[in-house]
Amino acid sequence: MTRPIIQVKNFTKRYGSFEAVKNISFDVAEGSIFAFLGPNGAGKSTTINTLCTIFEKTEGQLLIDGKDVSREKNAVRQSIGVVFQDSTLDKKMTIEENLKMHCVFYKVPRAEIEERINFVLDLVDLKEWRRKPVSALSGGMTRRVEIARGLIHYPKVLFLDEPTTGLDPQTRNHVWEYVLRLQKEKNITIFLTTHYMDEAEHADDVAIMDHGKIIAHDSPFGLKKQYTKDRAYITTSNAPKFEDLLTQQGLNFEKRERYHRVDVEDNAKFLYVLSECRVDITDMELRKGTLNDVFLDITGREIREGGNA
Amino acid sequence: MAVIKALCIRNLKAFWRNKPALIFNMILPFFFIFVFSSIFAGAIAMMLAGIIIATSFDSGLRVSSSTIDDMTSGFMKEVLVSPVSRFTIAVGQFVSSAIIGSVQGLLIYIIGVIIFPDIRPNSPLTVILVIASMAFVGLIFAGFGLLLASKSKNMQTFQALSMALTMPMTFISGAYIPLFSLPVPLQWVGRFNPMTYAVHFFRDVAIVSGDEIMKYTLAREQEVLQFWGLNITPTVSVLILVVFGAVFLFLSTMTFTRIDFSKMNRNIMDAVEMWS
Repeated sequence: MTRPIIQVKNFTKRYGSFEAVKNISFDVAEGSIFAFLGPNGAGKSTTINTLCTIFEKTEGQLLIDGKDVSREKNAVRQSIGVVFQDSTLDKKMTIEENLKMHCVFYKVPRAEIEERINFVLDLVDLKEWRRKPVSALSGGMTRRVEIARGLIHYPKVLFLDEPTTGLDPQTRNHVWEYVLRLQKEKNITIFLTTHYMDEAEHADDVAIMDHGKIIAHDSPFGLKKQYTKDRAYITTSNAPKFEDLLTQQGLNFEKRERYHRVDVEDNAKFLYVLSECRVDITDMELRKGTLNDVFLDITGREIREGGNA
Repeated sequence: MAVIKALCIRNLKAFWRNKPALIFNMILPFFFIFVFSSIFAGAIAMMLAGIIIATSFDSGLRVSSSTIDDMTSGFMKEVLVSPVSRFTIAVGQFVSSAIIGSVQGLLIYIIGVIIFPDIRPNSPLTVILVIASMAFVGLIFAGFGLLLASKSKNMQTFQALSMALTMPMTFISGAYIPLFSLPVPLQWVGRFNPMTYAVHFFRDVAIVSGDEIMKYTLAREQEVLQFWGLNITPTVSVLILVVFGAVFLFLSTMTFTRIDFSKMNRNIMDAVEMWS
């Protein structure tokens, strides 16, 4: 692991008697994409807001680039960019005015402002919209402006709190293109929360949070390997033969009304069963495990079950 | 300094771009001038002075209402994660209020002078004093407005509060109707109203030599304002306002820099409760 840019040790946050975050610890490597997954109210936003110096921690230590988020607030603020769940753009102003204001806030040298505005707007493909008021932009454009703004002071870490919530699938893909391009070009560490499982697949590291605790933390591949199985859904005209062979090979299966669901833990054994039954098989489908399955397996429920998003 | 300047420019642009509000705020004072000057015939100078200062007061408050707008629309959240101190933001809002208050007051003053040529100022010094007074009043009531905004935390509460306070504050201040013509209990209320002193000293600043009604009004108001024998001259009024202003600016800055945004954001707690 390269140098950790974010270090969280034994972080706890209480609201009165309610513990929103319970003693969590994790590190984020510099230049990586780190995804925080969890249902609404799991403590993701509380954690991100504390890292962004908005909330005060109750206990623990949170460091960004070696600086303490409670004691060196301004130094931390200077080294982070934040894109919140809800738009925080100044709707009364144009894109350019928003970016300029941000430059003033972050003490970007006057001589560099113009160049940086061009750079970030180019990055998110909004150059020709520069003088448009923010209120005239679509949801996807607004997000892109916010990402551009979050980057203009060249932060070390970019926080994205559910950056694609409320966007249509096409715009979501676009936003992701920009985020990935950015991470490659600028080697910025990206810390994001999301409840879209497919988005977490882009991350180098995924932490799953539930009820204020981190219940799993690994690469998407590692998580899938650990918590999911490849599954085959087979329809056969000779069920007894198929079942016998599966049992003989030691493969777990479940008989459903119109198909058999088989846990494919060993490809060779499964292929053997298939070849033996090939004349009887009328339909088949093989599904790889997804992060959603990981989530289901760990928490026992769908990520957005009961959520209000 | 750069931040304060940028905030001022931003607020001025926002003020300028909100055309319906701009036009409405320009028309309303003249509506008052015509209504009240037909009641108090010939008292144009007196009316205009009151109305101008009421406009500056109003602008001061309005810039603060834009602060609450900024808080709820999220813009303030972005400010709060930036390395800019909240104190600087508060100062930026106050300075913007002062500027917008005097710009708007000045516009009405200019239009007033064009429509009623007999009230034109008799020296450049008067003009300078008039502008300075409008900025002063705008600043003081920006403090008052930001205090209200920081305490109420959402637009609905703020609007209800500011309506409940601004109406009596403008009407029981002598701005439109002289205090001496009000019933005694209301005169007492007027004595505790900072606006009364703003109106009082501004009339003295904006007075046109030879305007008998203005002089008469000032003299009568002064009689009413007497506090246990203490004569409230326009100079005393300014001092009283300085005290009010200091208190407002201090309290509002304190409140604003200490707003706990984690408590303000109820959504997060609602979500937490839902899952617990």
